[in-house]
Amino acid sequence: MQLFLRRYLILYILLTASFSSVYSQNFELSGKVSDENSKPLPGALIVLMPGQKAVATDAMGLFSLKDLQKGDYTMKISFLGYKTESRQVTLHDNLHLGISMTPQRTTLQEVEIRDNSIETRKRENALHSEVVNDAFLRQNLGGSLMKSLERLPGVSTIDIGAGQSKPVIRGLGFNRVVVVENGVKHEGQQWGSDHGLEIDQFAVESIEVIKGPASLMYGSDAIGGIVDLKQSGIPANNTIGGSVDFIGKTNNDLIGSSVSVLTRKNSLYLSLRATVLDYADYKVPTDSVDIYSFRAPLFRNNLRNTAGNEQNIHASFGLVKSNYVSRFFISRISSINGFFANAHGLEPRRVDTALHDASSRDINYPYQEVKHFKAVNKSEWTKNGLRIESELGFQRNYRQEYSQYVDHGYMPPIFPDSMDFPSDLEREFEKHIYSANLKGSYTFNEKLLVTSGLSFEHQNNRIGGRGFMIPAYRQTAGGAFLYGKYTLSERSFLHLGLRTDVGMINTDAYNDWYPSPEETLNGTNDTFLLRAPDLTKSFSNLSWSVGYNYNFDNLFLKANLGKSFRMPIAKELAANGVNYHHFSYEVGNPDLNPEISYQLDISTEYSGNGIAVGFTPFVNYFTNYIYLNPGFEHDQLYGNGNQIFNYTESSVFRYGGEIHAHFDLGKTLKSGVIGEYVYSEQLSGDKKGFTLPFSPPASLLLNLKYVPKNFNFIEKPYFSIDYKLTAPQNKIVPPEEKTKGYQVINLSAGADIKIKKQLISVNIQLQNLMNQKYFNHMSYYRLINVPEPGRSLIVGISIPFEHDINE
Amino acid sequence: MRAARFLVFYLFAILIFQACGKEEIDDKKPEIDINFSGAFPVNCDTIYFGEPYLFNAVFKDNAELGAYSIEVHHNFDHHAHSTEVTVCELWPVKPAVNPYVFIKSYSIPSGSTVYAPNLEMVISTGNANGEFDEGDYHFFISLTDKEGWSTQKGLSIKILKREL
Repeated sequence: MQLFLRRYLILYILLTASFSSVYSQNFELSGKVSDENSKPLPGALIVLMPGQKAVATDAMGLFSLKDLQKGDYTMKISFLGYKTESRQVTLHDNLHLGISMTPQRTTLQEVEIRDNSIETRKRENALHSEVVNDAFLRQNLGGSLMKSLERLPGVSTIDIGAGQSKPVIRGLGFNRVVVVENGVKHEGQQWGSDHGLEIDQFAVESIEVIKGPASLMYGSDAIGGIVDLKQSGIPANNTIGGSVDFIGKTNNDLIGSSVSVLTRKNSLYLSLRATVLDYADYKVPTDSVDIYSFRAPLFRNNLRNTAGNEQNIHASFGLVKSNYVSRFFISRISSINGFFANAHGLEPRRVDTALHDASSRDINYPYQEVKHFKAVNKSEWTKNGLRIESELGFQRNYRQEYSQYVDHGYMPPIFPDSMDFPSDLEREFEKHIYSANLKGSYTFNEKLLVTSGLSFEHQNNRIGGRGFMIPAYRQTAGGAFLYGKYTLSERSFLHLGLRTDVGMINTDAYNDWYPSPEETLNGTNDTFLLRAPDLTKSFSNLSWSVGYNYNFDNLFLKANLGKSFRMPIAKELAANGVNYHHFSYEVGNPDLNPEISYQLDISTEYSGNGIAVGFTPFVNYFTNYIYLNPGFEHDQLYGNGNQIFNYTESSVFRYGGEIHAHFDLGKTLKSGVIGEYVYSEQLSGDKKGFTLPFSPPASLLLNLKYVPKNFNFIEKPYFSIDYKLTAPQNKIVPPEEKTKGYQVINLSAGADIKIKKQLISVNIQLQNLMNQKYFNHMSYYRLINVPEPGRSLIVGISIPFEHDINE
Repeated sequence: MRAARFLVFYLFAILIFQACGKEEIDDKKPEIDINFSGAFPVNCDTIYFGEPYLFNAVFKDNAELGAYSIEVHHNFDHHAHSTEVTVCELWPVKPAVNPYVFIKSYSIPSGSTVYAPNLEMVISTGNANGEFDEGDYHFFISLTDKEGWSTQKGLSIKILKREL
């Protein structure tokens, strides 16, 4: 730790010294920032671009930026709880401005996707990102938060039934995509294909999806990209507000509600939220499912035992001071959901249908119960162009999977009563995660912004239950990065970044709780098999990235080349057990190296009069993609006669990209096209020439949106039709199945209805209009031929409220 | 600017190059054929403790067979993974006391595209814990090809003591 800290300091000094040349300086830009009642706003942040020069207002709301060169600048004034102002200023003399801020009604607020700050990010950041706001999320509310993001170019999901999905960015998912909430990496059991993401879809206000390697800021795992979830939620001063949301979905008879209350008195604020969801088995447009050539009949099109429920609570509070903001976020997500009864452990037949079909709302075996607790502190401190941010987090992820006891392999026919876990507990994971990040940004002169940071994470994962998949482990990782953004000209920027990481993982030895007959030279011995050894591995890595932006008036171009990495996870290093979903005996490899990926990203976007076209291609090379490779042999002792799947490394070449275009077909009619394509090929190893598992098929989304004028008490009405065409996926790798192409139509409509002073926001979606039976190549249930959900009507209602508190 | 244009061109070139000149990969699963007279066991067949029987099936693959394994475990609880369409008459559910368990993996001579195991097998009448339970069992065959594609067959059988 000490050594690389020193190395990092030297680097920091070198980089600083080389860029700190002196520029001629002449003018002063000063001003006063006040609130809606003309009272001074102390602590508002003023950022001047180019140059990223930043200053905060003093107790009188005054600010001053000296030594500025003549020229055009963009000035951004922000203060938490207020709308960010953006102003163009031309400096040819000293200038004094009066700026009045308007409070942000967070509950009602509808940030346009093309607002100034996002536009600035697009033009000045090297990696491509997609930003969505709460309006987008309301309009696309579905089964899960990640499902709502599927509409974005390059983003897909791996689904486990109707309510759970994991994000996939350009074909990479699981531990290759990092989900960040309020600055802290969300940690669950990302490796599991039947494990969803523990996030409350109502509690997220904006999402930024970064496509491409982002190891620089987030360290290991961000090879595919980042899903950054944000809760802004600081109310305006002296108000109490909030919202009441309802959701209903016909396909799985989902009903849900989320209520939030926010209040602020001067520098203190508090926000509370509670969410409840309850859903029945989801319906598929088929009356039977073919599971490994056994046909399982479905009762009333219900996918047996996929019902579930969710209860979440959140509290956020903090201090909003002139140049210091410290916020706490505390949440507990708790859910229970059933697994499709005929699929779990491959028991398609002789499922007790009378029991399971008695009610579509009950949850029987097999099911999982998940609780995720998270406490995060996020603080920011700003002074004279120096900005320091810190995040501290604690998470507890507790997952239990229950199913009826079945004596697989050599397990005893009768479950012994001497065990310290119940017979129906198949798996249990309890993971404690401690995270800490520290980041500082400083603008050295008009030209150079330097950000550097440290991050640390410790995980402690305990296991339980009768089935063994991964060992208990402790993992510690730390990293330090340095990033510089240099303004070459008004139109162009250069980015350079360097990061070093070290990590260590220690897995515990695990022996079976039952004996297996081991054939030795002296005959057959009954042994408690050692599934995982006591193993300690350490890793280190140096990653880097170089980026360049060039902006024309209507066009921007950017390119980024980066090296990113991922530390092998416990499952890849030390798995040793049978996965009865796939008849696979999965074996880890303790000799795996950190996965290394090089990626070139290019992004260009033209936006002119009523037209916008973007193209974002990428080329990617993995020196050693870690991959669960199905071999041809079986293991009779450890694998109970099942096929051996070994974790191996192979070099992989991938390319692809997205294209999106928007045309205005008149004042009220807009059209759009989003296309995405990814190609992957393994260049070495046993599966040379094959693709990677879960390769998303090419797809094209055509959209037509009608946005008429406000009509009486109906504001912001819209009608939208999505026509999604998905190509067949014939590039597969064992044990996948080829998937046919399909076409789906989704309709949506909505408006804000204003009754007196009260707004009610209504969003309606009709998904799978034609009740099409189709298979999603990315679904966990694809292998057992479960089609995607049938037609579904989703209604979302949001009622915001806000009152001033009298002083 | 010129550099950027060149990069875009380069990307397209790779795309076109990759689209052509693809070598074919094997994406066909192997097959377990028990659909001929003399195949044993087939669904609902009976095997007797202590009596030798011949495991007779035909394995096929378009390229090259890999390996196979046989697993026999009880089905007294009526759990299921039969891959066969015919449904066998099962005995009533009963607790397992000393069920017979058999797990073994076998190799197939390399280079084979068709292979008939013709394996002579016998189920012993008991172990150290006493006589094995008779009743419903699953006879589970798993077959792979060299590429790692696999096929399973789960057969419902009965293993009984011969009435003397």
